[in-house]
Amino acid sequence: MDNGTSNSASENETITLKSCDGIEFHIDARIANRYTLLNNWNGGESACIPNVNGKVLEKVLEWCEHHINDPQLNCGDDDSRRRNTIIEEWDENFLSCDQDMLFEIILAANYLEIKPLLDLGCKTVANMMKSKSPEEIRSAFNIDNDYTPEEEEQFRKENEWAEDY
Amino acid sequence: MIPLPNECLIKILSNFKSNYRCLFSCLLVNRNWCRIIVPFLWSEPTEYFNDKRLIRTYLLLLNVEEQTLLIPFEIIIPNYPKPLFEYTRYATSVGIYLHDGVKNWLKEEGYGEERRNLIFNNDDYDDYDDHWPVNTVKCSLIALFLRTSKNLKILRFEGIIYDKKIFQYLYENTTITYLDFYTDNFDSRALEILLEVLCRNTTLISLNLSYNELNTKGWKAIAKALCKNEEKQ
Repeated sequence: MDNGTSNSASENETITLKSCDGIEFHIDARIANRYTLLNNWNGGESACIPNVNGKVLEKVLEWCEHHINDPQLNCGDDDSRRRNTIIEEWDENFLSCDQDMLFEIILAANYLEIKPLLDLGCKTVANMMKSKSPEEIRSAFNIDNDYTPEEEEQFRKENEWAEDY
Repeated sequence: MIPLPNECLIKILSNFKSNYRCLFSCLLVNRNWCRIIVPFLWSEPTEYFNDKRLIRTYLLLLNVEEQTLLIPFEIIIPNYPKPLFEYTRYATSVGIYLHDGVKNWLKEEGYGEERRNLIFNNDDYDDYDDHWPVNTVKCSLIALFLRTSKNLKILRFEGIIYDKKIFQYLYENTTITYLDFYTDNFDSRALEILLEVLCRNTTLISLNLSYNELNTKGWKAIAKALCKNEEKQ
């Protein structure tokens, strides 16, 4: 099979991907055709995707399979998709997982250059931050505050105009 | 939490590009988030230039030369620590609301009490009384933007601004693509300066003079300078 550039994969054609922990997935070749990096790893028995474990790869592939018939967007559409804050119900349910898994999906989508999934994951995290105070964001995402109290106060003062808009 | 690389954080936070309130909260999360957000937050605050708090932060970035312009008008620069970022660096556009912001700031914070009473609590006060101080602060700020901004694309002047330093910066500027002179008082000196800018600047692609009452000779001179400018580009 021509793995590199062919867009003509048929519905019955499958390819095999292996996660970094050795789990194999037989997927519709049309999925790999949409996302170049997935296609690149269809390299036979020993090829596996580094950095993405089976659990995460399964989720990523589930998303790709559900969206297999979505129209492919060009760069301009890509920008407008990012600005659109509405998330479809299926995607919302799909990403209603624990926070670690959500972040793993974002990392995998970034690594595998699956832009629509990356945008969706980022939008979901952004929605989780909306209307939260800095303290609430830190506690929700377990982030350390490395500001000195004086520095934080100064930043607050210099940027306070933004709080009202 | 699994740490996300900055390229993912940037993607997440860019969802708030026009939601300044969210950006403000995120900015205070930690230093790394702050470094990502400051360029977003300060790239296009033009719409909010009429907010005196924004003007106050910008004024803290004036250098000695820019501050010196304010001395004759007894304008008091805020006495706060030097800002943690050079915020003007990220500005992509400077618009006409700058006038209102400077006016608001001057009225509430820019003068000592005695001078404020003299100007504003005077029965005969009219808008023209602080015309020159407002213009001077605007000049200092525009010079600051031209000196520090790495991405300034749009510059709108309201009122004619005669300041050598500004014109020097304009001649040398290589980022501004849109220049707008929003004034009905476009005299021969302003025209001379504009012609010089047009002859020297090589990045300008749009010029708006729609409120100017230029005579035919003036328009012809501008057309000629524009042709020269195009040849250069």
